[in-house]
Amino acid sequence: MSKYDTFIGLEIHIQLLTETKIFCNCKSNFGDEPNSNVCPVCLGYPGVLPALNEEAVKLSYIVCRAMNCDLAKEGVFERKNYFYPDLTKNYQISQFEKPFGRNGYFEYESGDEIKKIRFHEIHLEEDAGKMIHEGDRSYCDYNRAGTCLLEIVTEPEFKEPQEAEDFLQAFRRAVRHLGVCDGNMDEGSMRCDANISLNLPGKGLGTKAEVKNVNSSRFVKKALQYERKRQEKILKSGGTVIQETRLWDEQRSVTESMRTKEQAHDYRYFPEPDLPPFRPDEAFLQIVEEAQIELPLARKQRFMEQYKLTEVQAEWVCEEKQSADFFEKVVSLGADAVTTAKWLMGNIAKELNARNIAKTDLGTDSCQLTEKRLAELFDLLSNNKIHAKIAVQTLQIIFDEDKNPTNIVKENGWEQSAEDEGELENIVKQILADNPKVVEQIKGGDQKPRGFIVGKVMAATKGTANPQSVQALITKLIEG
Amino acid sequence: MKKIKDYQSKDVQSYLSQVKDNDKDIGAFLEFNDSAEASDIEGTLSSVPFGVKDNIAVEGMHLTCGSKMLENFVSPYDATAVKKLKEAGAICLGKTNLDEFGMGSSTDNSALGVTNNPWDTSRVCGGSSGGSAAAVAAGMVPFALGTDTGGSIRQPASFCGVYGLKPTYGVVSRFGLVAYASSLEVCGILADSVDTTRTVFETIKGKDVNDQTSIDHIPASPEAKTIAVLSGDLGLSPEVEAAYKKAAEAYKEKGFSIIETTLPMLDYGIAAYYTIAMGEASANLARYNGVRYGHRSKDASNFEDLVQKSRDEGFGDEVKLRILLGTYVLRSGFQDQYYTRAQKIRTAVRNEFDSVFEKADLIMLPAFPTQAFVHGDSSLDQFQQKLADKFTVAANLAGVPSMSVPVSVENGLPVGMQLMGPVFSEERIFRAAEVLAEVLPPAACPGKMEVC
Amino acid sequence: MKTEELLITAAQAQLALPAEEEGRLAAAVTEMLDYFAKMSEVDVENLEPTTHALIRDNALRADNSNPNNKFNNNQEALIERAPESNNNFIIIPNVL
Ligand SMILES: [Mg+2]
Ligand SMILES: [Zn+2]
Repeated sequence: MSKYDTFIGLEIHIQLLTETKIFCNCKSNFGDEPNSNVCPVCLGYPGVLPALNEEAVKLSYIVCRAMNCDLAKEGVFERKNYFYPDLTKNYQISQFEKPFGRNGYFEYESGDEIKKIRFHEIHLEEDAGKMIHEGDRSYCDYNRAGTCLLEIVTEPEFKEPQEAEDFLQAFRRAVRHLGVCDGNMDEGSMRCDANISLNLPGKGLGTKAEVKNVNSSRFVKKALQYERKRQEKILKSGGTVIQETRLWDEQRSVTESMRTKEQAHDYRYFPEPDLPPFRPDEAFLQIVEEAQIELPLARKQRFMEQYKLTEVQAEWVCEEKQSADFFEKVVSLGADAVTTAKWLMGNIAKELNARNIAKTDLGTDSCQLTEKRLAELFDLLSNNKIHAKIAVQTLQIIFDEDKNPTNIVKENGWEQSAEDEGELENIVKQILADNPKVVEQIKGGDQKPRGFIVGKVMAATKGTANPQSVQALITKLIEG
Repeated sequence: MKKIKDYQSKDVQSYLSQVKDNDKDIGAFLEFNDSAEASDIEGTLSSVPFGVKDNIAVEGMHLTCGSKMLENFVSPYDATAVKKLKEAGAICLGKTNLDEFGMGSSTDNSALGVTNNPWDTSRVCGGSSGGSAAAVAAGMVPFALGTDTGGSIRQPASFCGVYGLKPTYGVVSRFGLVAYASSLEVCGILADSVDTTRTVFETIKGKDVNDQTSIDHIPASPEAKTIAVLSGDLGLSPEVEAAYKKAAEAYKEKGFSIIETTLPMLDYGIAAYYTIAMGEASANLARYNGVRYGHRSKDASNFEDLVQKSRDEGFGDEVKLRILLGTYVLRSGFQDQYYTRAQKIRTAVRNEFDSVFEKADLIMLPAFPTQAFVHGDSSLDQFQQKLADKFTVAANLAGVPSMSVPVSVENGLPVGMQLMGPVFSEERIFRAAEVLAEVLPPAACPGKMEVC
Repeated sequence: MKTEELLITAAQAQLALPAEEEGRLAAAVTEMLDYFAKMSEVDVENLEPTTHALIRDNALRADNSNPNNKFNNNQEALIERAPESNNNFIIIPNVL
């Protein structure tokens, strides 16, 4: 056990899912040709002015509300002044004194516990462009300049790197459920900087180092673990930690000082004169309220309670809002909850995988398996119209041919003749009569050849016979 | 006097060549629109030529801001005000000279040319919208667009004997106006008559989606009965003092009641104004770094060097001074005592105007303490010129409309007075200006261009 | 203003101050700052700062990419304005 307390804080940036950029109507797209989504506004041309995107403000307030923040009665944009070539105006329009959200919190699972992290603030700002450095030149692409970025600042209250990782995963899931961000850390639509300091117990925060350039939640944990060890070593040997920005080197799994001229940053914030303060009215707040959803953790807990799902099942179903919604819709159509969850995790996941259909496509036009079709399939199954193996085949055909299960079963003559026990008995009798040697073996106590008989019966019934019934008939007819 | 329709020209190119000829002694224009042609749009402004201060964007024309930094920069878009004028059939004849980025009150701070006062070419035309004022005074265009951050329309209007309107803040879109001090400045009009000013104002005003600080114009009552004038020693030159008295007498003669008032906050307005203006300018001018457009230094060894050298070579002294000061007043540790305090004083200035407008419909005050001074006048250095903005900056701090109106010619040079009203009182100001013109008709500048 | 403060400020403003300009600019800056000190005479105790003079209402833009935006398909014209560009990139000396 370390003799130091650890204080970890995160700054998360999420790109909001808007159609256009924050201050101009250029498209907000990832991966387009360089400088193809630019205009005089986002290139910072002389004479242009920012025009604030309504959707960006709405999505920001939706997040602030979902994260239990005090919502700003007056949100004010400010200019954050610093020179960098990816910043076209050499100031970033951001928020400072009056961000949209303050004092929020978020609950997440870490280990077996539910933990709570508090947020210092949530504010809206514009993203910067991207640069590629090669030889003695740097290449600037401003497609990303001016896309909508929401910054979430936690209090420095994580005690363990593991908590930071668990939080990030839960937070990512939450913003995906809210539909405000795709949470894609690879593409940079969700980014995280972490700060960490150590101190003797009771002494409060120590001198922090900030770690940047970390593009997955697992690396955040690794970088913090590394950084904690590094600082502990310094402190133990009586040294002092320097306040600085360090970069995570993924290849070597170390953090490294940026070694830039660390001139004390003075951003000279002042209210953006080009944008009036935003004051939400009742109608706006109503919209924000109506956009609130049950967050994934609460939903998962409810699914375990209400539908008696195991934790693993509930976790799987609630990973995406689309899968959870799909699940609940199927259940509301009369399907058994546990069966639905099992099928989703098993047979259905397999089919989705094979067809490159995302879990988030469930319940959308990109997925042939509608809630109604699945409920219908379960209905056929539970009423013994078909048995499990036929159900799996039917599921495949739903995907392949985009048809309703009832029709598929009918077209293939797959109805299980459960009532027609008499006919099935005749078939079994006939097959036993045709295979006297096998019957002798079974009579002699060798159970293995039973499968041979079942197989023959299934072939004769084109697979519609219920294997259990066949087994029962074999026992009855042979052993009397 | 020429009416606006006298300028309607079917042969724009031959008109343009007359203007070019006329401008040789004046230097009002930095660029002419050689592809200008007559418009077939119906309306008062159809085929009427106008000038545009070169810090306002006109598509396909340069947008130099009087600076080496943007000497070769061509605008890919139209400012909203320009767009509206084009849609009304008016023709942009060219871009007019100005103090670099609007910083100055003589147009001598332009890095790209000298503009002379048409009344006396040894004198300055005022600034920063000096080219626009000179072009109108010389009769080359009936009106020109200017910008007014702290008096940049009204002071050159006074120096050149033309009308100069600084509208209510936000009533004319700032989209396309190259920002100097965003919270103070507006796009406005220099014109040869009240009527032309009114027509242009009606054309360019209105809320604009591209400028979210723009607002709808909700006209205040057009009636004025009481006009406040300032009492006490205002430090005016004898000529300006005389003109001030003449104008007050004229209103009395027309049955207005003249009341005396004081505006103690004017003494602090200059400091507050320059603090805010420079602070905003330091951010607004940060985008000029030689990366995406504009001047890039040829001999830079690395990136930081490139930015600093480009800015050093591209900006003139006055611009650098203002950026430095503006950066300083925003620095942490200094911001409260300078920038934030200035904004509070701004509130005090507004409050003071509000109380005067409770007893008076308009305030009349000088545009500038002197008439046009000679180029390079050593008695009036850059610092002294700033202090002399005392009468104009207050309207920008308060956001209220104000128009400089030519009232007399003293010793061969014009003098203008400002008529200042509460927000949205432009029409009230126009009517009061027309009353004044009945008693004191504006004189034409000697050698004013005649159109055939 | 002390030379040291002037240099810090100039660095923040990314202005190279050639040595011969330093003295002259410092004097001009000091002259203005002394004048600004006048503001301390005003009692600002109960005054709110005016940051936005006349705007009272929210101003927002709908989240639509405007098909009439003439820059949508003409970005090359903008990139060509850069002092150095290639393959649609704007190029500068390496920042690292
Ligand atoms: Mg940020
Ligand atoms: Zn854009």
